[in-house]
Amino acid sequence: MSTPVNPITVEIIRNALIAVADEMNATLIRSAYTPIVYEMKDCSVALLDSEHRVLGQSAGLPIFLGNLEACTIAIEEQYGRNVWAPGDVWIMNDPYVTGTHLHDMTVMEPIFDDSQLLGFAASRAHWLDVGSKDPGGTIDSTDVFQEGLRLAPIKVVEAGTQVATITQMIGRNSRFYHGAVGDLGAQIACCHTGARRLPEIFRRFGAATVLAARDEIFAQAERLEREFIASVPDGVYRAEGTIDSDGISDREVAVRVEVSIDGDRMAIDLSDSDDACQGPVNCGATQAVAAARVAYKLLVDPHRPANGGSFRPLTVEVRDGSLVGANEPSPVEWYFTPLGLLIDLVVKALSEAVPERAAAASYGDSMVIYLSGTHPDTRQPWLHVEPTVGGWGAWQGSDGEDGLINNVNGSLKDMPIEVLETKYPVRLRHYGYRSDSCGHGEFRGGVGVEREFEILADASMSAWFERSRTPAWGLAGGGTAQPPDIVINPGRPDERHLLKCANVRLSQGDVVRTKTGGGGGFGRPDDRDRDAVRTDVFDGVITPETARRVYGLSVARRSSGPRDDSPRKAGAT
Amino acid sequence: MSRYRVAMDIGGTFTDAVAYDETSGQYSAGKASTTPGELSVGVRRAMHSVVEDLSTVSFAVHGTTQGLNAFLQRRGENVLLIASAGAGDVYQIARGNRTEMYEVQYRKPRPLLSRSDTVEVSGRLDPRGREIEPLSVEDVVAAARRYRDREYTSIAVALLFSYECPDHELQVLEVLRSELGPDVPISLSHRLAREWREYERTSTTVLDAYTAPIVRTYLEELSEGLQADGMSVPLHIMQSSGGIITARSARDHTVQTLLSGPVGGAMGGVSLARLTGQVNLICIDMGGTSFDVSLIVDGEADVSTEASLEGFPLLMPVVNIHTIGAGGGSVAYREAGGLRVGPRSARASPGPACYGRGGTEPTVTDANVALGRVDPATFAGGEFTLDVDAAHRSLAALGGELGLGSAEMAQGIVDVVNAKMAQAIRTLTVEKGIEPRDFALVAFGGAGPMHGVFLAEELGIDQMIVPRFPGAFSAWGMLETQLRRDSARGFPFPHATADLAALQRVFDEMGAEVRSQIEAEGVGSDSVVLHHSIDARYIGQEYTLTIPVGMLSVVGVSGWREQIKAVFDAAHHSRFGHSNAEAPIEFTIARTTGFGDLGRAAPSRLDVRPPAGPVARRPVRFGGEALDTPLIPRDRLAPSTQMDGPVVISEATATTVIPPGWHLEVDDYGILSAFRRNPGKQGGASS
Repeated sequence: MSTPVNPITVEIIRNALIAVADEMNATLIRSAYTPIVYEMKDCSVALLDSEHRVLGQSAGLPIFLGNLEACTIAIEEQYGRNVWAPGDVWIMNDPYVTGTHLHDMTVMEPIFDDSQLLGFAASRAHWLDVGSKDPGGTIDSTDVFQEGLRLAPIKVVEAGTQVATITQMIGRNSRFYHGAVGDLGAQIACCHTGARRLPEIFRRFGAATVLAARDEIFAQAERLEREFIASVPDGVYRAEGTIDSDGISDREVAVRVEVSIDGDRMAIDLSDSDDACQGPVNCGATQAVAAARVAYKLLVDPHRPANGGSFRPLTVEVRDGSLVGANEPSPVEWYFTPLGLLIDLVVKALSEAVPERAAAASYGDSMVIYLSGTHPDTRQPWLHVEPTVGGWGAWQGSDGEDGLINNVNGSLKDMPIEVLETKYPVRLRHYGYRSDSCGHGEFRGGVGVEREFEILADASMSAWFERSRTPAWGLAGGGTAQPPDIVINPGRPDERHLLKCANVRLSQGDVVRTKTGGGGGFGRPDDRDRDAVRTDVFDGVITPETARRVYGLSVARRSSGPRDDSPRKAGAT
Repeated sequence: MSRYRVAMDIGGTFTDAVAYDETSGQYSAGKASTTPGELSVGVRRAMHSVVEDLSTVSFAVHGTTQGLNAFLQRRGENVLLIASAGAGDVYQIARGNRTEMYEVQYRKPRPLLSRSDTVEVSGRLDPRGREIEPLSVEDVVAAARRYRDREYTSIAVALLFSYECPDHELQVLEVLRSELGPDVPISLSHRLAREWREYERTSTTVLDAYTAPIVRTYLEELSEGLQADGMSVPLHIMQSSGGIITARSARDHTVQTLLSGPVGGAMGGVSLARLTGQVNLICIDMGGTSFDVSLIVDGEADVSTEASLEGFPLLMPVVNIHTIGAGGGSVAYREAGGLRVGPRSARASPGPACYGRGGTEPTVTDANVALGRVDPATFAGGEFTLDVDAAHRSLAALGGELGLGSAEMAQGIVDVVNAKMAQAIRTLTVEKGIEPRDFALVAFGGAGPMHGVFLAEELGIDQMIVPRFPGAFSAWGMLETQLRRDSARGFPFPHATADLAALQRVFDEMGAEVRSQIEAEGVGSDSVVLHHSIDARYIGQEYTLTIPVGMLSVVGVSGWREQIKAVFDAAHHSRFGHSNAEAPIEFTIARTTGFGDLGRAAPSRLDVRPPAGPVARRPVRFGGEALDTPLIPRDRLAPSTQMDGPVVISEATATTVIPPGWHLEVDDYGILSAFRRNPGKQGGASS
């Protein structure tokens, strides 16, 4: 394998492998059924070599980075290497192998050229419903068996023919049969794309050349990462935070990270995090490793595609039985809540060592609201599930972004008011920025949003709002942001506040107001540019009272001055 | 006597013009320097470069970049946005999505107006367009006061559910007119995009308000100028949809002309498809810093129902142009011991090393120069002298770092960039469910014809076409387009239960609307053709497919419901590789497009008398070997000429490279086609 390959050929093969992953991703996203895949990009694809190393990868969602190989490895460990046969496609979602939750179906296909195993094409996508006790997922599950269908690895296509009985079984375990079968079809088509294209590359360049190029490609990725880590001051960096609760008890759950930099190596130790919880905030070790890799990538090499040489300088320590090293039957539905925090904490821990890549914390979790009921016009059941945008953290040189979707939701778009009201018996009376919700500083965090739903027909609500106990923190003297809140019937005698809840009954005429948190500030508020404070007041992002109290500046809210004072001019430069 | 059809297209450096002489059946091309301060000056000069006496012009069409430039440079109007109470921040939130996955320091595109430029007005409709709360006239009057007090110059009005019922927006218009008078520019969302999704509609409306007054002023200036020059026919303007409208109508639908310039190339593809009979084309426009790809499928441009401009959505039909970050200026460099080419670009400054402007890193252009594929005499229209030594020096330096000789380095850079461009094209075709091997490749722009054959080879394509005037292909493409008007209405109903009589009424209404618009442009009713289509998807999906429902409405025909489902399933299968006959579908938006035929050129056989004289030869490197290659000026290639590669063909705006293994043919109209001698083979042959 040590034949030197011309750098030109290496680069052509490197681009070709990335392109295969992109083509697989394009196939999956364009043909998926559920918005969770095509917009939240709650999916990822990987092209692996025959040793399960990543040749090319395209992750929709950062949190899915680099762990699809765990599935092909698990199959091979259980059934031996001879289990692979041309034309077969496998599916599985066992969370203690995949590391995620049951919604995430991993579909894999071995890639052959004649009888030679060249590698694997794999895809993972979040399915809308996999038959959990409540529609679309659970808030308060206490074991994995309440969370839906759990598949050990199984062949869904055999020798090129889709197995109807398996497809039926999987489809009928979902409340959305067509969605499940449709997404399965999209994932199989995605794997086929990889299985068609990889052999073309082998045939064009020859196996020996491709394999030698692969080794060089991996070595390049590793070299770049080691170079960067070597530039980070050696030391041990720690951070900790809590998630509000596990959804069952009211107890805070701590996530603790310890990051060690030693020369050109990085170690992330998660051992001190709390034990696995009764509620569904646990995850398998595979996914904890993946999340640690995401944090690593954000800091070390945010823009280049990952491959089998990536992450070689990184070791991750997970304690078996902890909430990020969970075993059967720990519930895992909200596995990403501690992982989102974990990623933020690694960035926080290293923020002083790698200031140019860091930012203050964002509003954090997905802030999901579920509304469901029976539509009065069609008498059909309806279900609306939607994460909510919030504020992101500021960094040296810039305010954080206002009203932006959280890290683990990819490129999800909010649902337009006009689509929401057309489909469901609700009215969105208000959707706008939440004044004063940001962390203050020389650069302020982004603001969160407020949404006000009017319920037009009796309905049921579940919600998962998080990070009220560790709201977005600031950096370098920047302030902490406001936490989230949900108010039912604000201003009425029956007003009440919630964050997490399952199946709360709502009546026609009830009002639900959700508020998301802001992002943390960066630097001391005293150092903030005075015009920026005026602009914020003028725009109503902060109130005049806050301008006075935090920034010591007296500004009238409505300027009647000439347009030249207007923030649009300032913003347009 | 009127005899010339003329098209003018504004580029960064030159404004191109192409004229077709209806008497002789011949084309001619000309150009003038683009005049950034006052674009109409350059446009008029360009026109004069091909037609002396403008009274002989029978048809004139123009692709304008005025609105796009105002947007790109953020020199637009000061816009006041009027939105529904409770939804004023929709434009700022912009659906809250991110486009970069691993970036904690992410910012959305800066909106064209800020929160304080937004006024909310009370008044609300429900999803069926029924009034829940009447419009507050008081709020609108307050908005008008705000407009006056704060020196705004344009107003965008986008209210919730106005696509279902425009009454509230029309009331706003009425109040604003009575408060502010008839001259204030006001853009109403339902007139620009009668479709659901308030952010996208608002964004479209704001873009219109931001650019329309500037474009209107420009169009008036230009029309008056051309009239003063003696032109007596109306000026037509290219729309983003690939169809044209008169400059007069463009004033009311300005936003539709925003991407007027870039779509010309794709429409050139459409004309070329008609002329050559090769109906499936991948068109590549490769310039110094950019590489644009567009697709012609079955002779038609690939048109989307929405587009995005620097992250701002536009709800309107737009010919898809995909920009890929590779071009002549892509820089080659060493990283982690390996070679990289692009996406970093040397841009105009310092530019490639061979420009002699201080660039030291080798670019794709430098590699082409070193390989002998660029004719220094005609490069960039002879604008400046190539520094060939500088190109060699930059290649030798990088080659030294990577253990490669200078010639090998040059070959390698070209191979890598060709592979990358080909892969980008392939990913695009996968998204569309298209197999590139079924296509011919059309190469234009300054650098396109130099790389075209090699991209074709990578993609398994057997034919590359270089049109006449490859530097002015966009202008050529505009010459033969049709008038086009589009209309859309929300029709959000499940397929199984949708009221087909209601759908028929929607189509009839839209049909009457676009027909009258086109007839108002001076086209006889016999020359108007209507296309109806409907967007549909499996219930639960977000992306829709636009399904044609026939040349005339056939909604009433029995069996239509079953038929449209089968057509949808088939379209889904061909696009995505799978479909589900059992799964129910739903409709979202009904669309009607009207085309008005303006006649077209019937070109004669190219009438050239090739100049005589010896053919120059020079060594050009192919596959690591320097081959003695003829360098032929394009004007010596008469119709029916045939020759084998290697051959390099040079003309003022482009250089065409035909390697060994490819065969050149010139058709009756002077269009070059290179054919692979062993068809059906992919890759392998080193460029």
